Amino acid sequence: MHAPFKGPVPLPREIAPGVFWIGGCLTQKFKGREYHGYNAAFIVTGSEASLLVETGHPKDFPAVEDHIRKVMARPGVAPLKHIFITHQETPHSGGLGRVLDKYPGLDIWGDVSDYHLAFPQHAHLLHFMQEGDSIDLGDRKFVAVEPVVRDLRTTWWGFDDKTRTLFPGDGFAYSHYHWDGHCGLVAEEATSLDLADVSAVFAERALYWTTMVDMNLYVDRLVEVMKALDVQVVAPTHGLPVTDLPRTFPKIKDGLLAGDGAYDTTVQDGTKAVVDEYAPRA
Amino acid sequence: MARIEGGTAALGGGAAASGLITEVVEGKVYALRSLLTLDGRVSAYPGPTRGYSVSNSYLLREPDGAAILDTGYAANEQQVIAQIGSLISKDTPVTIFPLRINEFMSVGNAMAICRDFNVVEAFSPTPDPIKIWINFASIDPATGEPEYLNFKSTRITGLIRHELGRSGKRFIEMFQTPIRLINTTWIWDEETRTLFTSDSFTQVSCDNPNGPWIIDAYDPSDERLSAAFMQSFLLNTRYWWIEGARTETLRRGVEAVFKRYPIETIAPGYGAILRGRALVEQQFGVLDDILRRMDRTRTKAYYVSRDLVR
Repeated sequence: MHAPFKGPVPLPREIAPGVFWIGGCLTQKFKGREYHGYNAAFIVTGSEASLLVETGHPKDFPAVEDHIRKVMARPGVAPLKHIFITHQETPHSGGLGRVLDKYPGLDIWGDVSDYHLAFPQHAHLLHFMQEGDSIDLGDRKFVAVEPVVRDLRTTWWGFDDKTRTLFPGDGFAYSHYHWDGHCGLVAEEATSLDLADVSAVFAERALYWTTMVDMNLYVDRLVEVMKALDVQVVAPTHGLPVTDLPRTFPKIKDGLLAGDGAYDTTVQDGTKAVVDEYAPRA
Repeated sequence: MARIEGGTAALGGGAAASGLITEVVEGKVYALRSLLTLDGRVSAYPGPTRGYSVSNSYLLREPDGAAILDTGYAANEQQVIAQIGSLISKDTPVTIFPLRINEFMSVGNAMAICRDFNVVEAFSPTPDPIKIWINFASIDPATGEPEYLNFKSTRITGLIRHELGRSGKRFIEMFQTPIRLINTTWIWDEETRTLFTSDSFTQVSCDNPNGPWIIDAYDPSDERLSAAFMQSFLLNTRYWWIEGARTETLRRGVEAVFKRYPIETIAPGYGAILRGRALVEQQFGVLDDILRRMDRTRTKAYYVSRDLVR
C-alpha cells in the first residue's frame, strides 16, 4: 500500500525491478491552472543489454542524458544497446539524434517510419518491428504489442516480459498537479489526482480523437489486451506510472471515457470561433 | 540556384539545390518541395502506397518580410536552406509557423533556418517558448544557447489575424484546424486566397517523381480526387477513428472554414497543390460528404486495430 506523500521525487526512479523512469515534465495551461504532463523515457535493464524506451522531449535532453548516465553507472547494469520508440512525435523521439551522439551505434526499434528523413545520418540503425517481434535483453524480452490508443498510425506499444510492464506511449496519458507535488510520483501516491479531470485535460490537448469516438470500444479492447498480457505495471510516456492496477485501472478507464464531448466546451480552439461566427443561430 | 517553376518572377541568389520551388502565386507564395519516395516508410501515406509525393514548406513573401510555413525534414536541410536563400535575403525579417509543432516535417529544419536567416517571431499553439520544441541537435554546454533562438514566441489561441510585412495590405489568419489528429494549425492568406492545410488534402501522390505537383482543374477521371480515394486515404492514415465518430462536429468546423474564406488554392503539407475554385469546391464537398456519412448517426462504430486496411 502506498502511503500518501508529496513530491517531487527526483528521477531516475525504479518503478519495477530493472525498469527505470527518467525524463521531465512539460507545462500545460488549462482553464487558468498550470498542469504538468510528463514526457518520460524509461530504461529496461537486462542481463545482457539495456534498452531505452522513448528519447524524451528535446527540451529535456540534458535531464535525460543525466538520468541515463546515473542508471548506467549502477553496479551490474548491462550496456545500453537498443532504443524502442513508440511513435514519431517529437516528445517521444525528438531526442534520438542527441542520444545517438552520446551512445553511437544503438539499434533503433519500432515502426521506424520517417526517421530516415528526420535523422538521415542514423538511417542504417533503424529496424522495423511487427506485432510480437521482440528484442532480446538476456534474461528478459521487450516485445512490440498492440497499440490500442495511438496517436499516429505508426504507433507500437512495448512490453517487458519479465516485470510484465506495459509501455503504452500516448495511452494512459494524463496530466498531474504540479502545484500539489505530483512530479515523480506513481499514480497511487498522487492521492489528490482526479484522473477523470486530468485525462480530459490531456485528451483536449493531445488526443483530440478520443473526444470524438465512443471510447467504450477502445476501453473494452484495452481491458482484453491488458488481461492477455497479464500486465502488472504501466509505464506511460505522459502519465504517472501505474503500479497497482486493481486500484488505479478503474479510474484510468473512467478518465478515458471522460473526454467524450470535451471538444464542444473547448475555449482555445480557433475553429470554434469560426464555427460560432457562421453556425446557424438558435 | 534553386529552379523555379510555375511563374515568371526573376529570383536571384541561393546555393545549388536539387529540389524545385513552385511559384504558387506570382511573387507572393512559393512551395519549397522535397521529394518523398513512398516505399512504406513515410507515415503521412498509407503503408501500401507506392510512388512519390513531396513535402511542402511554403514561403510567403513581401518586400519587407516573409513567412515560412513548416520547415521540412532534416534530410532536406541543405535543399530547403538553398530554396529559401534564392527567394529572400539573409536580413529579411522572417516569421516561422510550424503547423504541427510536434512533428518532424514541421520543425526539422527550424534550427537551421533560425541559424541562417533573420527569424524574428514564431507562432504555435504551445504555451512554451517555441525554441524548446525545435532543437534536436546537441548543444555544447560550454557555448550555451545560440543567440539566434532569441526570437519572439507567440501562442496561437482562438483565431489570430497577423500582418505579413508592414504595407498594411497582406494579412493572414491562423486557427486550430477543424479536423485533426494532433495539434494542427491552418493558415489563410487573404491576398492570394490560399488556405494552407497542413496534413489535410494531402492524398494526391504521383507515379512520377516529376509530378505534376499542381493540379489546376477537377478531372472526374482522376481517382485521387474522388470520394472513395480520399475516404480510404483518411482511414488508412490519420483518421482511422472517424467511422462512427462524432463527425458532424468536425463537419461543422470544416464547413465554417469553407464558408468564411473564398478559397482558390488548397496548399497542403504533402502532395499536389490543388488550385482553382471549382477544384476547391469539389474537394471540400468530398470531405463534407465523407464526414456526413461517417457520423455515428449513420455509421456504426467499431474498434479499429492498427493495421486494418480499408
